[in-house]
Amino acid sequence: MQLPKALRNTSLVVGAAITLTIVLLAIFAPAIATHGVEQMDMRNRFAGPSFQHLLGTDNFGRDLWSRLIWGARVSLTIAIIAVVCSVIIGTIVGLVAGYFGGWVDLVLMRITDIFLGVPAIVLALAIVAILGPGVMNVALALIVVAWTEYARVVRATTLVLREQNYVQAARALGARPSRILFKEILPNALGPIIVLASLGLGTAIIAESALSFLGFGLPPPTPTWGWTLAYGTKFIRDEPWLSIISGATIMITVLGFNLLGDGLRDVLDPRQLSRGGGKS
Amino acid sequence: MKTLLSTVSAVGLALAVFSGGSFSAQAAGTLVVGTDVDAGTLDPRLARDSTAYRVADLVYAGLVHITPKLEPVPDLAESWETPDPQTFIFKLRPGLKFSDGSPLTADDVVFTYSTLLNPDFSSPIRALFTPVKAVTAVDAQTVKFELAAPYAPLLTYLDVGIISKKAAESGQDISTKPVGAGPMKLASWNRGSDITLEANPDYWRGAPSIDKVTLKVIGDNSARAQAFEAGDLDVIQSPLSPQDITRLAGDDRFGNVKMAGLGVTYLNFNAKDPLLADPKMRQALSMLVDQQTIVNDIYQGVDQVASSLILPSSWAYSADIKQPTFNVEGAVKLLNELGWKDTNSDGILDKDGKPLTITLATHSEDPNRVQALEFMQAVFQQAGVEAKAQISDWPSFSTNYVQQGKHQIALLGWLNIVDPDRLMYAQFTTGGPTNWGGYSNAEVDTLLNEGRSTLDQAKRTEVYQKAATILASDLPYFVISDQGYQMFYQKDLPTEVQATPRGYLRGLIGLND
Amino acid sequence: MIAYIIRRLLLLIPLAIGMVVVTFALLLIIPGDPASVLLGQEATPEAIATLRANLGLDDPWYIRLWDYFAALAHGDMGQSIFQSQPVSTIIAGRLAATIELAVVSLVLATILGLVLGVISAIWQGSIIDTATMLLAQLGVSMPVYWLGLLLMLLFAVNLGWLPAIGRGEPLLDALAAALSGRPEVLIKSLSHIALPAFALAVNSAAIISRLVRTSMLEILREDFIRTAYAKGLRRPRVIVRHALRNALLPVLSVIGLRFGALLGGAVLTETIFAWPGLGQLTISAISQRDLPLIQGIVLTFAIIFALVNLIVDLLYAAVDPRIRLG
Repeated sequence: MQLPKALRNTSLVVGAAITLTIVLLAIFAPAIATHGVEQMDMRNRFAGPSFQHLLGTDNFGRDLWSRLIWGARVSLTIAIIAVVCSVIIGTIVGLVAGYFGGWVDLVLMRITDIFLGVPAIVLALAIVAILGPGVMNVALALIVVAWTEYARVVRATTLVLREQNYVQAARALGARPSRILFKEILPNALGPIIVLASLGLGTAIIAESALSFLGFGLPPPTPTWGWTLAYGTKFIRDEPWLSIISGATIMITVLGFNLLGDGLRDVLDPRQLSRGGGKS
Repeated sequence: MKTLLSTVSAVGLALAVFSGGSFSAQAAGTLVVGTDVDAGTLDPRLARDSTAYRVADLVYAGLVHITPKLEPVPDLAESWETPDPQTFIFKLRPGLKFSDGSPLTADDVVFTYSTLLNPDFSSPIRALFTPVKAVTAVDAQTVKFELAAPYAPLLTYLDVGIISKKAAESGQDISTKPVGAGPMKLASWNRGSDITLEANPDYWRGAPSIDKVTLKVIGDNSARAQAFEAGDLDVIQSPLSPQDITRLAGDDRFGNVKMAGLGVTYLNFNAKDPLLADPKMRQALSMLVDQQTIVNDIYQGVDQVASSLILPSSWAYSADIKQPTFNVEGAVKLLNELGWKDTNSDGILDKDGKPLTITLATHSEDPNRVQALEFMQAVFQQAGVEAKAQISDWPSFSTNYVQQGKHQIALLGWLNIVDPDRLMYAQFTTGGPTNWGGYSNAEVDTLLNEGRSTLDQAKRTEVYQKAATILASDLPYFVISDQGYQMFYQKDLPTEVQATPRGYLRGLIGLND
Repeated sequence: MIAYIIRRLLLLIPLAIGMVVVTFALLLIIPGDPASVLLGQEATPEAIATLRANLGLDDPWYIRLWDYFAALAHGDMGQSIFQSQPVSTIIAGRLAATIELAVVSLVLATILGLVLGVISAIWQGSIIDTATMLLAQLGVSMPVYWLGLLLMLLFAVNLGWLPAIGRGEPLLDALAAALSGRPEVLIKSLSHIALPAFALAVNSAAIISRLVRTSMLEILREDFIRTAYAKGLRRPRVIVRHALRNALLPVLSVIGLRFGALLGGAVLTETIFAWPGLGQLTISAISQRDLPLIQGIVLTFAIIFALVNLIVDLLYAAVDPRIRLG
């Protein structure tokens, strides 16, 4: 992968730019926030944008700009935890199933099917209800729903790579399966995993907001995007501004991840057909 | 899956909507009412949601009818007497008939109440009839209720619809095919979508002036308001979103009834929690609740700031009984007296090296409660109380948390408080079935027992006011607001409108009191 | 072929058992007691205990699981705790509405996806291409419920063109009514389904359009297309006759997969638009802890999921002779 080629890919550049901006805003939230994130002003609810409040205020008169950049921290943290864990679980399951085949493959793939078959919303709501809302628990709900996709893609890739000459050679030389899996196969399967993970970050952010919309998100006053949008939708009839701004924030961020994922796909593997992510 | 009948009626509605654009479908004496949930059952003994109650009130008739002023008046019963405080004898009207034409006798009344009282029948309202020992038929027209102890509120609960013993025992599923003796009868029921009723000419007062009532289920409050504005509905009522109320009230196409409701929104303090065991602590924390802002800004003035456990809609109400009011300095002062001081200047009060931490909890289904909780959390925090908000869905919150006494402060509500007894007896008597916070006060126990055992309303008023005064400073509950009841209707309705705080519909079909 | 179908259907059994067990395990530890929710706040603890016992909720888990499977073997999914009806009756009443929404959505998504995909492939690299693909990217980046609410606000509330919520007559019935001279019934049904179907379709339309574009671009570069031009065929004819037909193959498999996603996505869409389908039922069953109903819904989704996959595989084999089922 040469740099100039990557830079010529518009999706990649725009996606990376959006993602980087959001990540920087999240990291420097304490410095950039103009108001206290929990500072209410009930006499100034649903205010429009002004010099005082860049994006206006929410249903408690809190500064929306400050809430959204602090919210970026929370939402990104949940999304990253969820995706990293899903990738780890899915990759291990996929590698093992694809490499060993036979009954190992059969059992693992049937388990994957079961998790894929139970409606995602039932799984996620049940898990949050059981464990109670919290960053790790919401992330866990997203992991349980998301890991299957990685498992299936990694397994498919492993099935192909397993037959490659260099893997066969390593096997003939008596290398241990763990060595073959992690030293020979995994590095070559990384491309699709990275692409999928980047799209998965967007999916996770949308899923977190959907949980909040259904009342299963993080408890207030944590400034998550999901809660801000969920509140916004309650007032959409008379005060559409709140839901438009918070919805647009989510949309732009997810757009960033999706563009990044598409760009990476083109750069890493130009021949593979595009297949987009985005569940809700 | 759909009956022919329902298909026809839906088509009729479609025609009405499309032939005239946006006007209400009331040409042929029909009434379309928006409702928030589908009925779970149409068996009056098992009804537990507002829609089931409202439909049951039309399909069935009870011994008594409760007027908008919450007074019991004769319905199926022509008259009654109480030879002693533990006996009620009801005389039925002559010639009563169910909507299927069969006669209604004392046997049906006995059947209704004896099944309701059977623990295995699991009626949600069985607890209201706990003191009832036996219900017997004296003759075909006369029913006797015998009580284990005097029980004043009984009459206000005897509006339960009387069901047909014959229909029930012949194996007919009362919950989906109801047979009652009320002003209307079931025409069709499309689960999750609508319930249609038609006039019952066999009702003892004669057929109502409206031929057909349809209840349309629209779960989302704002969507229901929009359907009403578009003319698809003739009537909508609480629960409504505060924002929608403000807008609809300003629209002169619509009539508007607003009255004190029968519910409260309150904070449940867990008196068993070591931190909250001292009434002074509960007083201090109550002083941190900004009722004005919650009621006026979050509920936008639909509800009213509450001052005590007796509702303004009740005969026992007194404006002189007062809970603590919002006063941050006063609260902090009281907390300081209790030993909570900010010794390490971190903005949070502490005692013996431990910060003052408290958990506020509510359920996620009601956005107004969630907002009220989030607002209170911020005020607590500013006053130096480290407050955590905990929000879960209703089943987790109610059955696994508050009802197990695992909470510290919980925000929730009570409905249908037609008698002061219903908000106090089970809640505050020592070991009472819904005394989740474990509150106990011998004097309150005595007063509340006295309140249910005398039929003298003046005496009862005095007793409940005394109890409410003690409770307003003991504070097992801090009542935030008295819920308001709100109804909007199209001004061109064919009948006069008489609303009730329970949202019952007899006053909309020409059966005013 | 038939042997293949039978084998696939047999594989459904372990899948369904697995899903029932996973759901059962989750419901076993989920907080919230249906008996208590059913009886309401005023119920005494004794009344709740009695109802729990009567509902069999106090039995050990292995007995409850065994009882469930035993009943299921006889085709009985049990009785809903909150709606006094058998689970199968309730689900049957809702299933048609959900399938109707998903099918209409899928048709909409396919048409939109094809049109947008073909347009951007033909004008590859132009501003039209960029705009279309950006639109597609935005389509997959929006939370569905947010899009739904915005659509409702615009078309139902502000413009008043379409009803905000609810369902008209079932489309097939409405179609029959229209044929027998009552087109207004069909118009009403279509006006009700328009917003939820569109909200649900956007995501899939975006995915399909990107796929169609990629696939069209590859085919437009192939020799036989060049030959067609060389023979003097005009552009639209080439695109429709030759390129699109060949580009459809990969699209077909994705359309099948999207049907499953649409059924899942219907949960939020149905909740917002008060569409009386399975998705709305799922949410209310969970929020009441109606355990038998939740189990029944999960089982239903399992069966649909498996059947849709089977149909996709069969269709794929039928369209592409290179694929052999075995």
